[in-house]
Amino acid sequence: MSEDAAAVAALAGLPYMAWDRLDRLLQTGPPLQVWEAVCRGAHGTALAHAARRTSVADVAAAHAAAGVAIRLRGSPEYPAQLAPDHEAPAVLFTVGSLDALERPRVAIVGTRRCTNYGRDVARELGRFLAEAGVCVLSGLALGIDGAAHEGALAGGAAPPVAVVGSGLDVVYPRRHARLWDRVAQAGALLSEAPVGARPEPWRFPARNRVLAALADVVVVVESHPTGGSMHTVRAAEERGVAVLAVPGPIRSRASAGTNLLLSQGCHPVCDGDDVLAALSLRHATALPPPGTLRLVEARTPPSDDHAAVLDAVEWTPTSLETVATRTGAPPPRASAALAWLEREGWVRREAGWWERC
Amino acid sequence: MIATIPSASLLGVDGRPVTVEVHVSNGLPGFTVVGLPDAACRESRDRVRAALLSTGLTWPLRRVTVNLAPSGMRKGGPGLDLPIAIALLVAAGQLPALAVEALAFIGELGLDGSLRRVPGIVPLVDALHAPTVVVPAACVNEARLVGRHDVRSAQTLRELVDALSGTAPWPDAPDPPSPREPDPPPPDLADVRGQRVGRWALEVAAAGGHHLLFTGPPGAGKTLLAKRLPGLLPPLSQEEALETTRVHSAAGLDLSARGLVTRPPFRAPHHGASSVALVGGGSAWLRPGEISLSHNGVLFLDELGEFSPAVLDALRQPLEEGVVRVSRIKQSVTFPARFLLVAAMNPCPCGGDGGPSGCRCREQARLRYIRRVSGPLLDRFDMRVPVARADVDELLNGEPVESTAAVAPRVWAARALAADRGVRANAELPASRLDEVAPLTGGAWKVVEWHLKRGTLSARGLHRVRRVARTVADLAGAGLHVEEEHVCAALDLRVDLARLEAA
Repeated sequence: MSEDAAAVAALAGLPYMAWDRLDRLLQTGPPLQVWEAVCRGAHGTALAHAARRTSVADVAAAHAAAGVAIRLRGSPEYPAQLAPDHEAPAVLFTVGSLDALERPRVAIVGTRRCTNYGRDVARELGRFLAEAGVCVLSGLALGIDGAAHEGALAGGAAPPVAVVGSGLDVVYPRRHARLWDRVAQAGALLSEAPVGARPEPWRFPARNRVLAALADVVVVVESHPTGGSMHTVRAAEERGVAVLAVPGPIRSRASAGTNLLLSQGCHPVCDGDDVLAALSLRHATALPPPGTLRLVEARTPPSDDHAAVLDAVEWTPTSLETVATRTGAPPPRASAALAWLEREGWVRREAGWWERC
Repeated sequence: MIATIPSASLLGVDGRPVTVEVHVSNGLPGFTVVGLPDAACRESRDRVRAALLSTGLTWPLRRVTVNLAPSGMRKGGPGLDLPIAIALLVAAGQLPALAVEALAFIGELGLDGSLRRVPGIVPLVDALHAPTVVVPAACVNEARLVGRHDVRSAQTLRELVDALSGTAPWPDAPDPPSPREPDPPPPDLADVRGQRVGRWALEVAAAGGHHLLFTGPPGAGKTLLAKRLPGLLPPLSQEEALETTRVHSAAGLDLSARGLVTRPPFRAPHHGASSVALVGGGSAWLRPGEISLSHNGVLFLDELGEFSPAVLDALRQPLEEGVVRVSRIKQSVTFPARFLLVAAMNPCPCGGDGGPSGCRCREQARLRYIRRVSGPLLDRFDMRVPVARADVDELLNGEPVESTAAVAPRVWAARALAADRGVRANAELPASRLDEVAPLTGGAWKVVEWHLKRGTLSARGLHRVRRVARTVADLAGAGLHVEEEHVCAALDLRVDLARLEAA
């Protein structure tokens, strides 16, 4: 590891060192000199104070111990796909192999507060794209991001790549610790933050810009109108990267952002092929004749009584109350019918809500 | 010169007999109370002296020693004023000893000589062995609830002394238990439009005595529903009524107008309640808490998530055992606490979780809210029922729904079936007897098996589901076997909060 790389990593680890600030610092001279200037207090006492408590050698050792590679912009190790971007980070920390970035890349993003529908779509989309040899990019956050990675890992053919906001030894969110390891082993983890960096809120919008810069296509599965995914969309639009959105129920708050994108002319994703078409990997096909889109039905068709109950359940979470009211059945009767439908795979329950599946 | 008068003092919700001994002898004038009196008790010498003087009686200018036997036990409360005064009069020779033979006294004295009501008359009188008890006039009805004693009363010390010395007849017992004003009818179930599931869950909880948790968005009607529960419960049996009345009396609630507590009590403490307010205690006087006041009735905890976690966890032991043991360094008492717990909470701070509109809370805020209620406490709810906002059509022009009067007989019938099984309600069925009294049909087993295999039902959850299923079957008029429909219903009434407990 070169001393320059370690010095840049040490600079990136200073408090509130956002990518643009780091860029400006590095324009003032070679990294080691900049580091010494910072330590002397040439760039303010706060930075000098923080810098004096650490050493370049310690930073280098910490990265080596965590197995994190430091890739400087302009060096041959820096991913070629990111280098031309006008906001490319000065330094990128990685775990795993970046070979996956050679493939076509699709970022699947969305809200952390997703519905079952969004989670399923993200998972299926991730799986479908990975099987088709597409590198799935995401942020490993709760909700849509995690589901997309899970799907991509299950799909197998192409390894996924995650761009995260914290240091690569700081697993965030903690709940995704296992997923984090699996993505690191199968594909790669990328971050702008050096080892030990906490997941501070300001790091995530910056992370989203890297996601957008790396992607050939951005797919928004579910998003609130003001959610973080909208940062990614804005960054993608700046770069001329195609943005696709998954339509959702108009009553669902979690789909309000994606439906807004659609109404503004964004292309809808109704099928994995739509994403492949956007990647120019497949020509958009005319609508298939009706009936051919249906899954092979393995489920036992419900009897008339059960069918009436099934009709009362929506594709969005529905309460037992609603089912009982719509069918007029006494609650125990409705319960029994729902239990049968659940066993046969027609509906599912979660925290007291029923949903078609 | 010595005199002894039987009386009683309160410890927790039980009365303990106390003998008041007064010794008057020559020596420097003085007045001492010995025998571990508490502050209220020690102050009684000033009240007694003032009451005697303002009644026109003579205060003996001699050495007076009052002993409260047994002297090792702490005595509290002002109820010993009257026996001390009477014993003093006897010891000083102002009343003949024969006049007070076989009489016990309880009461507080005013400085003007009036007799005042004391809390806990029912357990106090119950502890007395004397055939005749004299109490302040305000307590007569309460004292008569015990039913074993001849109860006499007076308004003032003057009246009492005149009656005892035979110069005047006993004053008429005031207002024989007046024809009771009918209690305001409990809120009616017919007021709750829509909410088929909520109303049905309430019926099951009342019939089986199952602890019930309503979750749902604000304004869905959780509180409205919970307040209708006491109306569905059968009236208390004579024995239950006495138990509950003793607790209410010991807590100092005014029973003179109501007499015996015959309806199941409904207590709804605010979520700011302290642990002591809920389970009972206090330093000077161990007072029963809200859970004991709801003995044989309903304890309703609205906004469960807003209660302090420590307060809620204090409920776990009483929920299991039906009693609460309050221990302090100087004494420990056992309060009865067998209540039906009904609670309501929002699924998350914004109240929209899982519903079609999704949730607006941050993940952290949601988890923090859920974690306030511990898993073990959540597990003690046999029924966890989501309450959705009522359908607008049903709310505005739905047909009239069943009233309390229509539902209550079904509940009572189900309770009668439980009584045949030897328990008060199905919730108390021991796990070992479930196979005998609630065998499952083949179809029902299949449902249970499916859930056990998928891990959506635990072994302990199974027992609770079977008890609720037994109640559902009882309400449906099914026979010995619990059918598939009943088990499915019980499962739907015990909503898996897994998503809430995740992480």
